[in-house]
Amino acid sequence: MTQINRRDLLAGAGALGLASLLPMRASAAGSLTAAIYPGTWEEAYRGVVAPALKKSAGIDVAFDSLFAVDQVAKVRAARGVPPFDCFVLDPGPAAAAMAAGLFEPIDASKLANGPKVPAGLITSHGVTCNAQVVGIAYNPKKFATPPKGWADLFKSPYVERLGLTGFQTTFGTVSIIEMAKVFGGSATNVEPVFAELKKAVSKAAAVAAPAAMPGLFQQGQIDIMYTNTNTVATLKGRGVDIEFIKPETGAITFQTTLHIVKGADNVASAYKYIDAAISSEVQAELQKQPYNMVPINKDVKLVETLDIKSLDELATMVTHDWTVINPQRAAWIERFNKEITK
Amino acid sequence: MAAAAAASGGVPGARVDWRLAAPLGLTYLAFFAAPFAILLGISFYADAEQTRLGLDSWTKFYGDAFYRKVIFDTLKLGVFAVLATTLLAYPLALVFRASGPRVQRLLIFIILMPLLTSVVIRTFAWIVILAREGVLNQTLMGLGLTATPLNLLQTELGLVIALTQIEMPLMLLPLLTIMNQMDQNLVDASRALGASKWRTFFRVILPLTLPGWIAGATLVFASATTAFISQSVIGGARLVYLPSLIWQQSMVVYNWPFAAVASLTLLFTVLAGIMALGWLGRFARTS
Repeated sequence: MTQINRRDLLAGAGALGLASLLPMRASAAGSLTAAIYPGTWEEAYRGVVAPALKKSAGIDVAFDSLFAVDQVAKVRAARGVPPFDCFVLDPGPAAAAMAAGLFEPIDASKLANGPKVPAGLITSHGVTCNAQVVGIAYNPKKFATPPKGWADLFKSPYVERLGLTGFQTTFGTVSIIEMAKVFGGSATNVEPVFAELKKAVSKAAAVAAPAAMPGLFQQGQIDIMYTNTNTVATLKGRGVDIEFIKPETGAITFQTTLHIVKGADNVASAYKYIDAAISSEVQAELQKQPYNMVPINKDVKLVETLDIKSLDELATMVTHDWTVINPQRAAWIERFNKEITK
Repeated sequence: MAAAAAASGGVPGARVDWRLAAPLGLTYLAFFAAPFAILLGISFYADAEQTRLGLDSWTKFYGDAFYRKVIFDTLKLGVFAVLATTLLAYPLALVFRASGPRVQRLLIFIILMPLLTSVVIRTFAWIVILAREGVLNQTLMGLGLTATPLNLLQTELGLVIALTQIEMPLMLLPLLTIMNQMDQNLVDASRALGASKWRTFFRVILPLTLPGWIAGATLVFASATTAFISQSVIGGARLVYLPSLIWQQSMVVYNWPFAAVASLTLLFTVLAGIMALGWLGRFARTS
């Protein structure tokens, strides 16, 4: 015979009370929680993807606004109790999350829009939802001649107006690797670029956090930076004097990918969400101002405001292997801290 | 119990019911003490993957001159913010004390207004002011005081200027409170006995308002040393402080043991500063 005394009852009630304080997640049928980057991405996915998903599948999506590194950190910290169902990641954090086993495998047959995505963009554990193109952005009113390539960033008059950012982000990391290549380095040898960065740091207009770059450009603190076409188009849309150029060694491209979190509660809804995100209607809408996202659906006709003319251009751009980059990144970040600070 | 109640300013003889304190006590245990213990535990892992125990993270952090300098710079930033807010807050507090109720209400409104705005907004406003083509540089160049724009963003000076404005209410509010409680007769007596304004300030006003200054200095010091947003946005990547280092090591590099060491260091650095100010307060009362 089980006896429940007052103390046990109180303890149980207390535990229930504490449990009620824990954040509730969408786990009902017809709903899911998806992580999304703060800023433009959140606006785009709330404004375009969520209504499209509601219309096509009757599913409600709640967004958790987090940068890529924060998403991976949060899922790792949750240890098997996923705080959301879907990731949105850049290659670096995606490779780290893949190595940590944080993804459910992707069954491409469950995606109706899968065949409209170029070959190779749907992998065993992720679905590309957007291509990012990285190059050099400059203020055309401040320079008589535009820069041609990565090496120009370290020469006058560009270096004095340059905004530098380190290895914390995907675009920063791949840009510095490309700079290393023009100075004789590679993805495994960044020695030459560190020598150049050390010389440039005292002359550069700013060494800033990646998120601060667009604001510094807008305020005229810097007039040249390495960034992606999304940022350039967004600033242009706000009336900022800014132009994007592809460096002579080629622009860089990398994919932003959607992944289902290992152990997610709403796997079926997550497939529907990914399918809606890669549909031609959504992709066509996301490429317009103010979102400016390079589409990955073959049926989409590209708009004028993007800095690329066709999806075939992506195939000619520079790509990087993040399984090679990730193991070295911590050391690069530490070195950047030590050598490129005051 | 009665003694405790009396000591804490309570009613002597009143019984303190521990059950009243239990919700706060349990919350504190669950949401501060437990995570703190976990943090301390993580710091004793030797590697980022948390597979081996060892003091490697501690020796790497304290054995490296760069990280020792980061601790020093973080402390220095807190001290500078306290000094700058002190220099500006005292004159304003004296003006406040000498003003009529209508001006006082206006001053309080002006002092409190920044607190009603998010620190993120205030920080970005400082970018607009301090930038190369910002308000300050345009004004200085317009007045012909400088030929070329001054570089204020991404410098320690720019960061201290911004933090001074951002943290100013934290210094002013305790100072104004104590200034208003000060006995005007003591100030008048000092002046009547022939002391100059400066002497009166240093010998009468300053000692009497010291508890308010210590409260303000504690708040400003703790807030400035941990001001992650202002440090990263205005200081940029050229200036490395403990909060941004913690974020980088935990969120970008995923080296949690090392981030835990940096976090505990920040916690104890701030606590040391607060204790030093507390000690100064006791010293001032006894001397």
